[in-house]
Parts: sequence; C-alpha cells; structure tokens
Amino acid sequence: MLGSVPLTPKALEDYRSVIGDEHVEEIRSLAEPLKDARVLHVNATSFGGGVAEILMTLVPLMQDIGLQADWQVIRGTDEFYQVTKAMHNSLQGMFFDWTPEKRDIWLRQNEANAELFDERYDFVVIHDPQPAALRTCVRERDAKLADGKWIWRCHIDLTDAQVEVWEILKPYLNQYDGAIFTAAEYIKDDLLGPQRFVVPPAIDPLSPKNAELDAATSQDILHRYGVDHERPFITQISRFDPWKDPLGVIEVYRIAKRDFPELQLLLIASMAHDDPEGWAWYEKTVRRAGEDFDIHILSNLNGVGNLEVNAFQRTAKVVIQKSVREGFGLVVSEGLWKQRPVVAGRVGGIPLQLIDGVTGYLVSTTDECADRVIDLMRDPALANRMGQTGREFVREHFLITRYLRDYLRIFRTLSSIDPPAELAYGEGEARAK
Amino acid sequence: MYGTLALQPKVLDEYRKISGDAAIDEIKRLAAPLEGLRVLHLSVTAFGTGVAELLNSAVPVLSDIGLSCQWQVVRPTEEFASCSKALYRSLAGISKEWSTQLSETWLGYSRMNAELLTEEFDVIVVHDPQPAAIRSFVSEEARRKTRWVFRSHLDLSDAEPAGWLALREHVKDYDAIVFDAAAFVRDDMPDVPLSIIPPAIDPLGPRNMELPRNTIENVLMSYGIDPQRPLICQLSPCDPAADFLGCIDIYDQVKQDVPDVQMALIAANPPEDPPSIEHFDEAVRRSMEYVDVHILRGTNEVGNVETNAFQRASSVVVQKGLRKGFGIWISDAQWKERPVVTAASGGLSHQVIDGVTGLIANTIDEFAGGITRILFDPQLARRLGEAGHHHVQENFLLPRFIIDELRLLGALVGTAR
Repeated sequence: MLGSVPLTPKALEDYRSVIGDEHVEEIRSLAEPLKDARVLHVNATSFGGGVAEILMTLVPLMQDIGLQADWQVIRGTDEFYQVTKAMHNSLQGMFFDWTPEKRDIWLRQNEANAELFDERYDFVVIHDPQPAALRTCVRERDAKLADGKWIWRCHIDLTDAQVEVWEILKPYLNQYDGAIFTAAEYIKDDLLGPQRFVVPPAIDPLSPKNAELDAATSQDILHRYGVDHERPFITQISRFDPWKDPLGVIEVYRIAKRDFPELQLLLIASMAHDDPEGWAWYEKTVRRAGEDFDIHILSNLNGVGNLEVNAFQRTAKVVIQKSVREGFGLVVSEGLWKQRPVVAGRVGGIPLQLIDGVTGYLVSTTDECADRVIDLMRDPALANRMGQTGREFVREHFLITRYLRDYLRIFRTLSSIDPPAELAYGEGEARAK
Repeated sequence: MYGTLALQPKVLDEYRKISGDAAIDEIKRLAAPLEGLRVLHLSVTAFGTGVAELLNSAVPVLSDIGLSCQWQVVRPTEEFASCSKALYRSLAGISKEWSTQLSETWLGYSRMNAELLTEEFDVIVVHDPQPAAIRSFVSEEARRKTRWVFRSHLDLSDAEPAGWLALREHVKDYDAIVFDAAAFVRDDMPDVPLSIIPPAIDPLGPRNMELPRNTIENVLMSYGIDPQRPLICQLSPCDPAADFLGCIDIYDQVKQDVPDVQMALIAANPPEDPPSIEHFDEAVRRSMEYVDVHILRGTNEVGNVETNAFQRASSVVVQKGLRKGFGIWISDAQWKERPVVTAASGGLSHQVIDGVTGLIANTIDEFAGGITRILFDPQLARRLGEAGHHHVQENFLLPRFIIDELRLLGALVGTAR
C-alpha cells in the first residue's frame, strides 16, 4: 500500500449544534445508499498545507457516517518533489522549462506508486497533479484495481496554467470519471473526459483553529507573544510573497495609525524551509517594519500554531487579507467565522466568501484598504454587525459539513444513484446576493 | 549582513516573580560592564529546534539589559542545506556519508557566507556546525577584533571521524567552545577554552502559560482524545531514536493493567530521511490497531499553546529515546508538574534524576512498569511532578541561562574592553 496517514476520529453528531438538525439529517440520508462504500483519498503529503487540513477532518467524518474511507500518501524521491513543485507552480502560471526528462521523473514515480496500489475501491479521489497519472498506471498494471469511480480533485487555479504542462497532464486526467474544481472559473474547458464539479474548500468549526476560545485565554496568548491586548490591532495571516502583499499591509497600518495612534499590526507568516522566495519576502517585511515595535511579525518559527491563530483572529479589530492574487483565500472564512469583519482583495475565491459592504469590504488598492479599515475602526457597532453576518454566511456555505455533503452528492451522481448534474456553488452565491 | 529575524521585545524584570530577586539582580550586576557589547548569534534557519526557541527568548532579554545583541541566520540554498544536513548526521554519528566532495561544497558556501559579514561585532556566537567554517574565511581583521564562540548543541562524543575532522579544523582557532553538557564533549578537542551551558525553558513563553481547563479539554477532544481518561504523551522529532513503535508496545503493555489508557504521539517535525519516513509509516500502521493511540503532526498544526495543552493534560509524559542533545520539552513538562518517564540518553540524564524528578527506563518493560506505577499511585505522580518542577526551577529556567551567557561574555571580553 501507499504511505499511511494517522487520523483522529470525528463524529458528525458533534456538528449538530453548529449546523442544525436539518443539515445533519440531510447528510445521513445522502450517505444511506453509500454505506460501506470503499473510498480512498490520495495526495502528496499529510504534513501541513490546506489540502491536508481538510482531509484531516473530511476522512474521519466519512468514516463516521458509514463509508469505509481511507487516506494514503504517495511516496516520492527528492527529485520527484522538485519536479512536482515546479509543475504546481507552472500550473498556476509561472514559467518552467519542461523537458521530457522531467516528465519521465513524474511518470516513473507514478508508476512506482501504482505498484503499491493493491486494493480495489469504489471511489478513489486523487488530489492535485502530483499523483494524477496514477489511474493510468494502475490500469496498465491491473485493470480490475482501477475500475471504481476515480475523481481528480484539483485544488489549484488553472486559469493561467502553462500550456506545455497542462498538455502533459490532460491525457491522464481524461481517464477520470469525475473532476472537482474549487471555483467555476478554474474549470479547464478542454478537459472533456470526466464529469466536472465545483466544490469550494471549507473550514472545520470544531478544530483548534476555529473552535470557541474564551476571551481571557486569547488575551493571555497575545500577551505571551508580546502583543498589548489592551490596544487595538489588525492582522493578516498568510504566506509572505508578493501576491499576499505584506508590504502593502504595513502601509495600510501606517495610514490607519495616523487616525489611531494606539493601533498595532500582527503579521503572521507561514514559512517553509525550502522556500527562498518566502524568506526574501520575510526579510523585506522585517526591514519595512524597522524599529516600529507595534508591528509584530510572528511565524511558525516562533511556534505559532492553531490556537495562536485562533486567538489572533478572534481578538483583531479587523482581519485583513490584502491579496493581489489568491487561490481561494480560505483564511477569509476563518476570520468571518470568528465574527470579525474582513477587508480583503477582490481576487481569486475571496469574492465568493465575502459580501462587499455586508460582511466586510472588497478592495483593490492600498488606499482603499486603509480607508475601509479606518471606517471599521471608527464604527465598532458596524464592525460587529458585519462580523455576525459573516459568521452566518460561513455557517451556510463554508463549513466542512457542506463540503462533506458535496462529496456525497458527487459519489451518488457518479454511481447513478442521482441523475447526472453539475454541482456548483452557484445556488449559494445567488442566495447571498 | 545575514538574514534577520523579527523578535518580540522582552523585559527581564518580568522574570523576577519566578526566579526571584537574587537571580535578576545578579543578571543586572553581570550585565552592567557589558553595556553596549555588540554580540551576534549566528545560526542556520531552524524550526522547532531547541536552539531557535532559546534564542527567541534569550536575545530579546539580553537586549533588554543593555547589550547590543542580534540574531542573524544563514539562509541555505538547497545544495548547502543538504550538505549541512549530511554534516549534522555525520557529527551525530548517524551516517558515514561525509566525503571530501561534501567538504568542498560546505567550504565553498562558507566562503560565500563569510562575505556577508559586513558589520563589526565584539563577539560572534556560532550555533551548531553548519556555519562554523565561516570564521576561516572572514578578513584577518574580523578574526582579530572579534571573539568567536562555537556553540555546539549537538552531542559530538559519537561523531563519525570524517565529519569531526572537517569541523575540528575550522573551530580550532575559536576563542571559546561551549557544549550543552559535559558528556557531549570529545576527548580530542582542540586546545580552546571549554564551557558548559545547559539549555533552558522560558517560563513566560506561550508553551508554559497557564491554560483554563476547558481550553485544554477542547484541544484534546478535537483530536478525538477523551479528557476524562488517562493519557500518555510523547512529543518528539520523528526519527527511529524517538521510537514511536516502541511507544506503542509500551502502550500495549500498560493497557493490560489500565484498560482505558490513551496515548498521543506528537511528531514535532515531518520525518525527513528515509529511515525516519519508514519508521513513521510503520508506526502509523501499528497505531491503527488501537482506537486509543493517536499520532499527531506538528509543523503548522500543533503550535506552542497546543503543545502546552497536551502536556498539561498528560497523566505521564514519556521520552522513549533521543537521537541527540537535550529533550528540553521534558523540562517543559516537569515545569507543569507532570511526572515523566524517559530514557537516559543525552541530556535527559541531567533532566531526570531517577526516582526523584521522574523515572528512568531502559526497556519497554521498564517503561510500561514505570508508567503503570505512576498511574496507580497518585502520590508518586505528585511527588515526581513537584520535584521535577523544583529541578527545573533550579537548573533549567531562562534567567540561569542568561547568567551563564553573561559570565561567558564577561570572561571573553573582560580584559579587552
């Protein structure tokens, strides 16, 4: 078998108080004909990243409602991960010099993993491009092992994908029964083999990052990281790269600080060892912050984890996500869930999560962002109202239980329990407007 | 200059209520003649390591008491990173892969990094072997004007000769060498003054702050752990020395006597080398045989406060083994008055005095026996916990570390200034 992933149990019942009886019953009834269905999720890593975070909750919930769900990771060499990292980047629009040799490294590793694939499943969900050739490779080895319904789950925005890389992937993806995209705009029109679905990502309201946390503990956590909990602060939690614009956030803070001299800024970075560009941006940001000790720059390097992020989002006056380019930006939903208004860039999946002028503001420039932050700082009642509306919107559209429900519907559609239909977020969006 | 890190200011006086007036006043007395001393701590970028955690707290405190103290990091390229990992493994005695070719790569990058030393310092403290050869390539002036300290957090006693000889050549002209423990020192050290400065924990950091019961319980429950039942916990790097499989064997034995016991194994970092990946994988598969054994992953998920919660919730904290150095998180657990059962490896033998501040165990049977005794004897648990707390109070708190650092710095520059 492929690499195993440790899972901790979850119970759908625990979500009843969050999502209500009706949604719990709906999930149970959708799951009924899928009882004991064998489901396997496959991705590249169980350590870190948004995909792993979602699977950590989704797979145990599937088990809890009666499916035989499992999650395994492919095995790879350093060389393979270098190639797939470049592949990932070029699918998001970065240029990468593809050679037949690199393609072979990717394909050979998929073949090697196919050798480890030794059971038949009713549904196999392959996440992202790294293991995408697996179905073809498994089929070549033993057609019976590949005869369940196979779904390619794409978590990245393919709008600007480099053509060479897409063309390499496409024939393998056309072997799938279904393909799931994060947003309708990310669907590739020329992917005609699989049935296509849209499922936006979601947050787990009961995880340590999102569960309730009392005010005293939150304040104590702020204090331990050197933040003055008696003074207001705004925060952005993101990687450090040009697309998340950390320097722009500092500018926003400086403009707002003219009106609110007490204001602090918390920039929380998620850093990786193997990301020189991230470190370059980290340093640019530290230099820009200079001697202003009201700017707190923290990261996983300082041991900032789930509970810290929870406390920071919960106690911020305004949560910012000043992206100039974004995959989905699920951190927006995290902020809204904690009843904080969010001011965020009008890019990627952010407009799907944030209703402009109702749960926060969509912005396109630094000045606009600063103005909106100041508006919300001036009117705490408005900020709270937006936060509450935001929480309700997230409850309806961006919780892991909705995500689970979407998967059940896709399984039912692919196994002809339900008539064929494209699942789209469209209905929810229409309701919101 | 090298890469900078954002540090949060700290105030020494906040430690007064924990370490007492005498320690704080001693720090101020030692710091007075060192005012304005320009000290650079240099390390490679490090996550979740004891070095990084310690510098995170120590550098702001040293700045607060008047030193001009900085921490900069050498940002490795991919090639340098894999080469310095190989050096590290060779020095830890884990692999024989160190070669002349790797030596040349290492020195090539050290030469390049030497050019980044553009500011003047009175003292440069180089942490761990990766950046140690930089000194050999800086200007004659930088060698003469600056006191160079090599700080090895690694146990070098079992180092492979190839890696050690490569390192020895470049630390032999340092002004001081510092180890975490006397047992980590080799017999064939170069003729450089030696000091021993054990690591310490920050009692005011987020890893050690008080947490309300309901926060702790929420964290446990979100990982499927029942807060009402006993919990055995190990937090460690994920390598064969930490022996996750052995932990599961221990659990299996304890369960015979304590059927409702649970275990949480927290991997502080993703497994990196093939033996570690293999070990992790096997452990995960074994853990699936037990509903109450949970393997959790650190890195971006489990941060300081969650680690804190797990330690506070543990009935017993264990450390089955350790690849190298101190297991400083065991001191964190002792500070929280948790009984600990550990191997005697590395620095653990300083942290755990058998039968007093915890129990030492060598085999699965001994671990299981010790844990079972503690679970059945609340008085023993309390006694070990209290003695552990006291031991940390006396030996492993940040102010003690600051005193040692100041004494070292004073000795280095005493006459020169």
